[in-house]
Amino acid sequence: MIFRFFFIRELKKFPVFFFLLSFTILLGSLGLTGISIVSQEVREKLQSRAHELLTSDFAVTARRDLNPKEKEVLASTFKDIPHDHYRIVDIYSMITHLKAQQSRLAEIRSVEPGFPFFGKITLKEGKFSAEGLFISKDLESLWKVGMGDELQIGEIKIKVAGIVEDDSSLGLRGFSLAPRIYLPLKELERSGLLRPGATGSYAYHYRMPGITPARLSTLKSSIYKDIKDSGVKVVLPEDSSEQTGRVIENLTNFMSLSALIGLILSLVGIFYLYQSHLLARLKDLCLINLYGLSKSAILLGIIGQFSAIFLFVFILQILIIVPAYHLIMPTLSESLGLDLEGGINFKSVLQQLPFLYVLSLSILTPLLLGLMRTPMSTMLKAAKISMGRFRFYDFIPFVLLLWGFAWYLSNSLKTGNIFFFCLVVVFLLSTIIILGAQWVLRRFIAGKGLLMPTIEAGVAFRNLTRSGHKLTLSFLSLAMGATLISLILQLDHMIQGELALDENRPGLFVFDIQEEQIDELTEFSASQGTPLEAVTPMIRARLQNINGKKYVRKKNTSKIRNTREDDEENRQRNTGLNLTYRGYLSPSEKIVEGEPFPVRNSDEERLPLISLEKRWAQRMGLSIGDLVTFDIQGVELEGKVHNIREVKWTSFYPNFFVSVEPGYLDGAPKTYLAVLGAGFKQKKTEFQRSTVMKFPNISFIDVEEMVGKLSTLFQKSRAAIQVISLLSLSVGLVILYGLSHDQVYRRYYDLALMKSLGFSSNRLRLNLIFEFGTLFLGAMGVGLFLGWLMAQLIGKEVFKLPFSVNWAGLLWPGLVLSILCLATILVSSWRAVRAKPRELLSDS
Amino acid sequence: MMSIRNLRKSYGTGEGKVEVLKGINLEIKSGETLALVGKSGSGKSTLLSLMAGLDQADTGEIIINDKNLTTMKENEVTIFRAANMGIVFQQFHLVSTLTALENVLLPLELLKRANAYKTATELLNAVGLYTRGDHLPSQLSGGESQRVAMARALAIRPAILFADEPSGNLDEETGDKVMDLLFTMVAETNTTLVLVTHDTDLAHRCKRVIHLEHGSLS
Repeated sequence: MIFRFFFIRELKKFPVFFFLLSFTILLGSLGLTGISIVSQEVREKLQSRAHELLTSDFAVTARRDLNPKEKEVLASTFKDIPHDHYRIVDIYSMITHLKAQQSRLAEIRSVEPGFPFFGKITLKEGKFSAEGLFISKDLESLWKVGMGDELQIGEIKIKVAGIVEDDSSLGLRGFSLAPRIYLPLKELERSGLLRPGATGSYAYHYRMPGITPARLSTLKSSIYKDIKDSGVKVVLPEDSSEQTGRVIENLTNFMSLSALIGLILSLVGIFYLYQSHLLARLKDLCLINLYGLSKSAILLGIIGQFSAIFLFVFILQILIIVPAYHLIMPTLSESLGLDLEGGINFKSVLQQLPFLYVLSLSILTPLLLGLMRTPMSTMLKAAKISMGRFRFYDFIPFVLLLWGFAWYLSNSLKTGNIFFFCLVVVFLLSTIIILGAQWVLRRFIAGKGLLMPTIEAGVAFRNLTRSGHKLTLSFLSLAMGATLISLILQLDHMIQGELALDENRPGLFVFDIQEEQIDELTEFSASQGTPLEAVTPMIRARLQNINGKKYVRKKNTSKIRNTREDDEENRQRNTGLNLTYRGYLSPSEKIVEGEPFPVRNSDEERLPLISLEKRWAQRMGLSIGDLVTFDIQGVELEGKVHNIREVKWTSFYPNFFVSVEPGYLDGAPKTYLAVLGAGFKQKKTEFQRSTVMKFPNISFIDVEEMVGKLSTLFQKSRAAIQVISLLSLSVGLVILYGLSHDQVYRRYYDLALMKSLGFSSNRLRLNLIFEFGTLFLGAMGVGLFLGWLMAQLIGKEVFKLPFSVNWAGLLWPGLVLSILCLATILVSSWRAVRAKPRELLSDS
Repeated sequence: MMSIRNLRKSYGTGEGKVEVLKGINLEIKSGETLALVGKSGSGKSTLLSLMAGLDQADTGEIIINDKNLTTMKENEVTIFRAANMGIVFQQFHLVSTLTALENVLLPLELLKRANAYKTATELLNAVGLYTRGDHLPSQLSGGESQRVAMARALAIRPAILFADEPSGNLDEETGDKVMDLLFTMVAETNTTLVLVTHDTDLAHRCKRVIHLEHGSLS
């Protein structure tokens, strides 16, 4: 009976309801499923290419060359294991195209014979070897440099031996700072670029035929046991793919949250659709209860019905996503710089499915409990059939699951919490606003007639104050939908604005300046009319103790997946850091806690004071007054945290997580960073070339080019997020239709009645426009404003962006959504307004 | 006052077509009280709906005070009904978001009648619900709701009042009280009353009783 009633008759009798329900679930979950599939494909692709990305079985890397003792550890570790090995040194340096007389930054990968153990470097012509200079095809097209052309790298001149067409050791193409060139390691050593403090990475790679992953892990532990410096890292193939995949992972996490917005809207829609449907079916449900079907069996029937629809939609989704994925695969491969393949693995989608199902089902809990509370046997005798009321606390399971799902999707407790609490705040603020507005309106209409100034408005105002929690819920759903849409648009605007050209931003970022070059470079740059600014020392260090306790390398033994914060903390713990000393603040930093460094008395005996960047301090759990010890190339320096700074990293000024009070580190080995002001665009190229000729080891980052690169990356992410936002918006509109339809359905009775009392169809429409227009405009206004406010808070707290207003992003969505809402109301109410009053009254 | 000529109405199409009214002819005089009685399905509620302009006849004419309801456009019927008719339904049908007072006020302000607020208050007082004026329909009992509905129907001093089983949803005692009130008010205002009922006793309180059987007057 349950099957016949809930699955066959219902489907036949209410095809529109089931269509709308399926469509709503489909739209709501499509984004999440799509993202899940794409990120799984990217992850798998990177994992399958793990050996190719690392180029070996095992690598030991550091930001400096290993010392003799560390090299001895490696030698003794691999003594009894058959292996081959080579070294790779990666540095960023300027190179000069001698024929074109132009200089630019390049990633120089210098290798030894045998490279690569895994993967392939394919040339346009000829064969790759570790004996010549090979440049990437990007550099070839940027510079029009070809085979046989001569490049100056540091102090050496060397001819291009080939153009790299495809490089399997590159992760995501287009995500690197500068184009890559290959140079024999012995040539790099000759170039004079490997000076102390030069920005680079030294790696020792090993190939061990037949080695098992377990043995590799043992080797890793053994090396970590013998080499205590946390700046020395062992990289296994899976670590290498993880690093590359992190970019995609972060992007997909944020996109998943955007898609979650769509899902939440669709869940609101599911709630409303089922509420209307159950109300319409309540009489029949009461009847089948009267004839012996228990309430729990009825609930089971409804849950089964929903589950069947959910499963059907899931299959439908797959049928849509598979061809769609194949369609977008070439574009996606191009955008990510990763050759994705045709096959799809549904592992992550299937993992996500139970969460999605339980969350979707949980939104029905209040309705099912309301049904349980309905006195079905006596309800049939009542003048008007109504469902048992659901309580506020019935939503708790849904709310908790939503919170958990936000964590799961963002892969971050912090981001999940921010997302969830923002939703809660928006919900609470919207509730306060609607309840406050209703209170004011109630006061306003008290004791007055219906003409305000028209009867349509008078009746509408009364409906707005007396329609109970259903109207409040409609307002909240609309306001939250508008908030989320506004948030996406405003944040997008703010980030775009941040990446736009800024006249105060420096033109060139200069690094790898040796101490002895500072005076000469300053003089030289001044003579070129572009004085050096923000000259800042950079010292390589390692965090050793916090409050006297050793800060150790954290072992990742957890079998469950790490959150983004865990990964971040592990990275922070396992790597060294660069610090500076300066007694002033750069234009892009400000002290948010504590005081500036005091003027130091030369005979004063005290610990050096330390200034920390706010987020770094939070991550490391440091606060003012803590004692911190750094190992600066073998010398210990203990200092006391004196203040906390906020840094605007997008300023491209030299800034550091740690800044030490001047006077303590002046003698430490260091290099310098500096910037050259903006406003010399034409001279920039010439200046770089002439500086590189004079100081071959000094490198430049063209800030404008870098911002352009970031902007391109942002555009790619933005395009993806926009697709998801559009999907969310579509869900919002479908939900809007559902909500409006539901509101009109509830008004059928009153509409018919008012018509029988003398309201013409036009007056009824006017009444609806007054009522829902006020509701929608109010909800849109509140939602768009709250979205803007959230964007400002997130922009300030997360991205350090200044306050801004995207008027177009506020007005257009507000206008379009309000018009769509009203159109929906008019379409939904068309039948009710046009129908004969008798028909409607008998329907009610 | 009201003249019905050869009124026909059917529902459905083809083989499922049911002819509910089969050529009704009826004359009602001003101030007359008329009861329409008949079994369930005899067509009495349908006839009342057509007379009140709540539905459209297939053929025939309904003329009220020289105005032909059947040739009017929908909006014209609505306006005519607002100005000339009052309706009391079996299920009270009060606008759920308006208070008792506002429900009575609604037809008056719709017609922009002078002193609407005062009239509505007086009417509510007349039906004994002055203290319940600011209560919503959900806060009123069945008897109270029906009294509000009557006050609302009579507020505009309609030329004709239609009442469809007005005591059908009330217990006997409350029903009697409500009907006493209805007849008193109709008499006081000399309003024409068309009452649809099953109740023979109630029907006989009207001056004229008409029987409807299988869609025809008997």
